[in-house]
Amino acid sequence: MGAHLARRYITETDTEPDPKKKFEFGPQVGLPDRNEREMVATQEQMNLAQLPVEQRDYCAHHLLKLMKCKRDNWPAFLSCKHERHDWDYCQNQDYLMRMKEYERERRLQLRKKRLAVQPEAA
Amino acid sequence: MLTTIVTSSHLLVITLLILPILTTLNPSPVPPPWATSQVKTAVKLAFFVSLAPLIIFLNEGTEAIVTNWAWMNTLTFDINLSFKFDHYSIIFVPIALYVTWAILEFASWYMHADPQMNRFFKYLLTFLIAMIVLVSANNMFQFFIGWEGVGIMSFLLIGWWYGRTDANTAALQAVIYNRVGDIGLILTMAWLATNLNSWEMQHMFTASKDMNLTLPLMGLILAATGKSAQFGLHPWLPSAMEGPTPVSALLHSSTMVVAGIFLLIRLNPLMENNQMALTTCLCLGALTTLFTATCALTQNDIKKIVAFSTSSQLGLMMVTIGLNQPQLAFLHICTHAFFKAMLFLCSGSIIHSLNDEQDIRKMGGMHRLAPFTSTCLTIGSLALTGTPFLAGFFSKDAIIEAMNTSHLNAWALALTLLATSFTAVYSLRVVFFVSMGHPRFLPLSPLNENNPAVISPLKRLAWGSIIAGLLITSNLTPLKTPIMTMHPALKLSALIVTILGLLVALELASMTSKQVKVSPALSPHHFSNMLGYFPMITHRATPKVGLILGQTMASQTVDQTWLEKAGPKMITSAQLPLISTSSNMQQGSIKAYLSLFFMTLCLATLLINSL
Repeated sequence: MGAHLARRYITETDTEPDPKKKFEFGPQVGLPDRNEREMVATQEQMNLAQLPVEQRDYCAHHLLKLMKCKRDNWPAFLSCKHERHDWDYCQNQDYLMRMKEYERERRLQLRKKRLAVQPEAA
Repeated sequence: MLTTIVTSSHLLVITLLILPILTTLNPSPVPPPWATSQVKTAVKLAFFVSLAPLIIFLNEGTEAIVTNWAWMNTLTFDINLSFKFDHYSIIFVPIALYVTWAILEFASWYMHADPQMNRFFKYLLTFLIAMIVLVSANNMFQFFIGWEGVGIMSFLLIGWWYGRTDANTAALQAVIYNRVGDIGLILTMAWLATNLNSWEMQHMFTASKDMNLTLPLMGLILAATGKSAQFGLHPWLPSAMEGPTPVSALLHSSTMVVAGIFLLIRLNPLMENNQMALTTCLCLGALTTLFTATCALTQNDIKKIVAFSTSSQLGLMMVTIGLNQPQLAFLHICTHAFFKAMLFLCSGSIIHSLNDEQDIRKMGGMHRLAPFTSTCLTIGSLALTGTPFLAGFFSKDAIIEAMNTSHLNAWALALTLLATSFTAVYSLRVVFFVSMGHPRFLPLSPLNENNPAVISPLKRLAWGSIIAGLLITSNLTPLKTPIMTMHPALKLSALIVTILGLLVALELASMTSKQVKVSPALSPHHFSNMLGYFPMITHRATPKVGLILGQTMASQTVDQTWLEKAGPKMITSAQLPLISTSSNMQQGSIKAYLSLFFMTLCLATLLINSL
């Protein structure tokens, strides 16, 4: 639970990536077929729904569906569980993807360090 | 059309609340049943009327900003009468009216022996009107009117029993501490007026896009510190328990003390991008919540424990603002209103039943003697500690989850978790001393909770404490995406910490039947019981410094300097040596006169010879 902190400040201070800075290795290093993620919700839809800027992420289409469900089903406020779960699941997957990206960057940094050490050892 | 209904309903609410006061503006005294027949009915009716905008908002999402009257408009600056009906005010007004309705009904029983009960209800109604003006204000001037109104009514209501010195001191304390906070608010208002040229919320938010807002935000935080009893300006809240219990239930738990937090919620768009203000809120809130929870652990007056609990929850709300989650802070305001008012009403019922006994060491066994009241006390305490699926859980757990998953100050997080466990400790302490065990009071107490004026309000607030959290969270989509992905330990941290606190408290409570001394002679106990020595130090040091300064100014500056060193006495002391020397010389001494004569003769001769 605090492993990233231990790595950053004690054990691997030179290779641990800083989440606030831009990552050194691009998203397509080693993954040539990888494409940029596409937003499903359009700008017009989000503008019409008056979504705040922080909520205009890759899960916004689920949020728009949830808002529509709530608007249509009120006063049955407990009937949007499925849409809420979809949004939460999408956010969860998004979070896991961010964690995986971080781990990928960390492993690439370790690989870079290993490759730099090898010619010296050779 | 729906916006018309929203705005007209609000106008009707304010009219319904002002009407009873207008009926008192003639010289003849009001008839005795005025309080129950007019005031309570008006508030009840206003509550049902305010449900209309709420339902329209939940169904359609209607929000409105209404500018009614150009009040004081100059060429460069406008002050209008403008109301903002956004989701904060539309949700808060029905909740405030619901809680006030319950409290007024309770007060008709609690204060029935008071000869001035009608005036008491009038004060409570005036307070309620000021609070509604505050939450629906769309500009800082109107907000300030409500702010000052609630402050003044707080003063009048705390000092209700003005024959009692402690009550007068407490009322004065409340006013002075609030005034210090008002300095911050007025500073902010002045800055906003000079730099943004408007006091309307929308103008301020758009005009301040890229400005450095640290100074006005510090002023706002000072205002919230004063009004919401954050650390530094907090002693007035426990002292405010000198007022009658309905006053504590309405003002100092549900409505007035949240005005400071409400200010920060309303002006959150100004604070969002200023990291220093957010960090200040976070650290101040964490310090407040832990400090006041520590003080609550060893208090023996039931009302003081609940007052410190209120202060601790206000600190938690401040922490939430520091996490940049105003909606969660608002949710906590709403759920907290229900269970805290209920806790105060239960305390009031128990106090009156035990012949005005407020010391929990002299209560006990109320579980069998006043079952409904102790049930509501238990429900309120469980809701306060964040028991899953009661009202407090939805807000408190969400706040602690947001705190655990944020990348902010971990020290503030640790303090808040510790305060959460202390909440469980002192809540169990109250329930243990009041409801459990055997009675520790005399048998002939006027125990009676079998009065509909007591039972109905408690029942309504109990329903609120149970379902309010579920209702509000189910009906509103969050405006900031909550982070739901975390380690199970983080997710359960609030629950674990609360259960730990509960177990520790149970262990300590079981030790009370085994120890000999009444209270331990330990420094941590003294620190907690004496409220951290804060009031003792500040209430003596601050006036002493002022008085010494005054004395120094009066005696040293005025008396000594102007009158002695710079004024008449200096002239005297400068002239006296010359006078004494010259008069001493003319003492009739022949030798002196002869020597002077010869000296003058020689000088004259020399002068004539030189010419």
